[in-house]
Amino acid sequence: MSETKIETTVHGMMAEFTTVDSLLSACRRIRDAGYTKTDAYTPFPVHGIDKALGIKPTALPWICLIAGATGTCIALVMQIWMNSIDYKYIISGKPYISLPAFIPVAFELTILLASFGAFFGMWALNGLPKFSNPMFTDPRFDRATDDRFFLYVDASDERYDPSGVRNLLADTGSDYINEVVEDDSPKEVPKPVFLIWGLAVAASLVPLICILTMRVTNSSKPRFHVFFDMDFSPSKDAQQVTSLFADNRAMRSDVPGTVARGQMEESLDMLTGIDVEALTMSDPPRVQRLVRAYMLADDEAKAEEKEAVEAAEAAPASVMDTTPWVEKNPLTVDAELLAQGRQQFEIYCSVCHGMDGYGNGLVARRAQSINAPTWVPPASMHQETLYADKYPDGKLFSTISNGIRKMPGYAGQIKLKDRWAIVAYVRALQKSQNASMDLVPESEKAAVEAAVADVKAELKRQAEEAEKAAAARKQTQS
Amino acid sequence: MSLAIPNGLDNTVERPGERAPLVLGETTYHDITEAVCKVAERPPSKGWIGGFLVAFALLQMLGLLIVYLIYTGVGVWGNRAPIFWGWPIVNFVFWVGIGHAGTLISAILFLFRQEWRTSINRAAEAMTIFAVACAGTFPGIHVGRAWLAFWLAPYPSLNLWMWPQFRSPLLWDVFAVSTYGTVSLLFWYMGMVPDLATFRDRSKNKYRRMAYGILCLGWSGSSRHWMRYEKAYAILAALAAPLVLSVHTIVSFDFAVSQVPGWHTTIFPPYFVAGAIFSGFAMVLTLMVPARKMLNLEKLITIRHLENMCKIILATGSIVGLAYGTEFFIAWYGQVPAEQFAFLNRAFGPYAWAYWTMVSCNVISPQIFWFKKARTTPWIIVVVSIFVNIGMWFERFVIVISSLSRDYLPSAWAYFTPTWVDWGMLIGSFGLFFTLFLLFCRTLPVINMAEVKATLAKQEHMAHLHGHGEEAAEGH
Ligand code: HEC
Repeated sequence: MSETKIETTVHGMMAEFTTVDSLLSACRRIRDAGYTKTDAYTPFPVHGIDKALGIKPTALPWICLIAGATGTCIALVMQIWMNSIDYKYIISGKPYISLPAFIPVAFELTILLASFGAFFGMWALNGLPKFSNPMFTDPRFDRATDDRFFLYVDASDERYDPSGVRNLLADTGSDYINEVVEDDSPKEVPKPVFLIWGLAVAASLVPLICILTMRVTNSSKPRFHVFFDMDFSPSKDAQQVTSLFADNRAMRSDVPGTVARGQMEESLDMLTGIDVEALTMSDPPRVQRLVRAYMLADDEAKAEEKEAVEAAEAAPASVMDTTPWVEKNPLTVDAELLAQGRQQFEIYCSVCHGMDGYGNGLVARRAQSINAPTWVPPASMHQETLYADKYPDGKLFSTISNGIRKMPGYAGQIKLKDRWAIVAYVRALQKSQNASMDLVPESEKAAVEAAVADVKAELKRQAEEAEKAAAARKQTQS
Repeated sequence: MSLAIPNGLDNTVERPGERAPLVLGETTYHDITEAVCKVAERPPSKGWIGGFLVAFALLQMLGLLIVYLIYTGVGVWGNRAPIFWGWPIVNFVFWVGIGHAGTLISAILFLFRQEWRTSINRAAEAMTIFAVACAGTFPGIHVGRAWLAFWLAPYPSLNLWMWPQFRSPLLWDVFAVSTYGTVSLLFWYMGMVPDLATFRDRSKNKYRRMAYGILCLGWSGSSRHWMRYEKAYAILAALAAPLVLSVHTIVSFDFAVSQVPGWHTTIFPPYFVAGAIFSGFAMVLTLMVPARKMLNLEKLITIRHLENMCKIILATGSIVGLAYGTEFFIAWYGQVPAEQFAFLNRAFGPYAWAYWTMVSCNVISPQIFWFKKARTTPWIIVVVSIFVNIGMWFERFVIVISSLSRDYLPSAWAYFTPTWVDWGMLIGSFGLFFTLFLLFCRTLPVINMAEVKATLAKQEHMAHLHGHGEEAAEGH
């Protein structure tokens, strides 16, 4: 031993062995000699050494048990709180607290926490990580993780006395015995390491601080989008162009053979205005054609039907007369339906037939004023031939849907129910022209009279205005 | 300190009353250290560099494809109605399955005191972790808006104001796979600490020594530490064993708890677990047979080790075959038309080619292992294990794709066609796997030296008891 080494603290004495057996017997001798602060260092766990050294069993299993039980509790409380109390989910009509469904997560968290208990508990009990260990000062100790076995007696042991221990160890057959001294390498962590560490910590805080400040402050700038999610929907308006489809149309028609939601709630009667049951008796092939045309969206059948109807129209006894029409509007007629019918009529029909249905709509008047030669005047709704007894609701519906002679069909523009609403409105319009005040229920009378008065006043006002305007014009002319 | 093995290099012969040696040749403790440490210490071989470059390139491809996917949207995959799960989920189940062998070898074989596991457990565990990493990638990007995948975690969200739905098997899956990944990582790392200390103590380079010193947490090999360490190891093994079984059980719940014909069956949990072990061992063999040759570890990973694994492959392969048969039986016996159709459709429908590939690879090809010659011939082992890998991928393909493509609503039926991105990601995931594995070979102890040394010590002890005392005594 050199003089400098005497000054350094001595931690204990170690001896090297080459076989397990020699180590074990040495351990036993040291234990029997009464030493308790001992340890052995081996490259692999040596069987029986805990007995040979008198090492007590560890409390690790208890740590695991507690950690595992904590895991179970956390999992159960978490699941029950989250799914049964704070945010109730109804799943398959099961009770909110349905334990069987909570088992998998409870099991996994039990295992996870118990494993953490075993893993971290073991390192904690072992006092690791610990990077500085006086044993490492001896270069021969490097072989403790390779093929050598070391026995160590700590200097703090009551019986420790350097020469006695040395002799005892020499006796056990060890060929290398050495004192374990304090590591004399500098203890302080070098400054650059600190600097780099500090910088890294500071840098890692920057994003966190940025996020936190953004959370608590307001900004007038628009949100910064990393991912657009669905914040900007690329939806198209009607009639717009798109590159997604070969025909560049953004509006798509139904896929052939499919039925959109809300369609097909209707019976064939409602779709055609024909009493199909009666038609089955008189003309079964036509029923088949109607089914194909209306229920199966078979365009061919539709065309056939149209052709047949048009051909028959030309004949004196038209199909229109032999067809068993639906007599009554299949929708319940009420104020709402009439309002809807009125709205639709004024949009679609009034341009030709006029607001009042007398056939003097804007188009008709214009055609008359220019004497259009091919123009057929639109029929007045107030002919007796168009009254419900002669012209059933179903037939009127068919006229609106498929057109008649010069009048085009409106099935493409007007929805099914709206067409029936128009039928109801036309009926009301017809009735209104020769109805007496007696038909109006007592409760509504006042309202109707007031409305009539309003209209009359308005008409008067308009007439006066027109007169004034005419007079003014005359004056300026003269 | 050396041990003579009386029956030469063939340790596959069973001698009554004797344990077959698991470490061959005149091996000392130091030889084991040398053999294992040399793998990481010598300069990389050309084969390693070449393999790493290929694997790394594939990994880059995977990364780019993921960027492309996130930038463009999940439409780049072949996932279309009604097969929304598509390839990503096939790949997920495939990789999770592979990730079962490692922990099984380390935990269950440990509990059964199967000492032959010591030479292969480290690499198998590493493989587990890398496979779980590959597996985790796929559901992560399959969620569509991958940047919101953290919504799976139960945290008090200020955006959602709601919690995950804990009665869904998909959420159980998140917990199962992440617990499994974490515990496997702890188990693997803990097992490695003493060997990392060996690496530290052999390092000549200061920085290398420092790095391994930090990694091994200052391990000294103290017997008091070993005692707690072994306890912790046993506890972790006892915890990991049911965990392994639970993971693929819960993965199978993803399917079985749904009502899709062909999925809604109670056989799924055991069937999936058997399949997972099967595919995991196949992957271990695929890697270990060439690796033991290239890394000169034939004395430590012996033919006996390979043979044992082949036996497990044979057993689990037959279980999987039995499960295929049982599924058909139950479909017939249950008399549910949709189920019956689902299974007939698997075997004879548009995916019949996949089904029969699966059956020939998984059920027929391992049967060759009834012959000892096949179990002990490395090249046959590699070929069969690769077949099994292919077969197990197809098994997941058949389950996911065939059931989804034709369920209750015939108007929604469709045939699945993968896109080039699907292919690229599958291949890229192998890039991720092999990159990690090759890095592992070069930087970490590929064999559990401490355990193999302990096995050697025990072998020596046994030799004592069986009348080789004189030889052993001479060696001392
Ligand atoms: C483009 C102008 C035009 C529009 C719009 C129009 N019609 Fe007509 N309508 C006519 C013409 C013209 C006739 C006479 C056809 C003929 O006799 O050849 C007619 C005839 C009729 C007839 C008598 C059919 C018969 O059998 O005699 C009815 C009823 C009828 N229209 C109702 C409607 C309804 C309801 C609407 C609104 C949905 C409507 N029309 C929209 C031009 C139009």
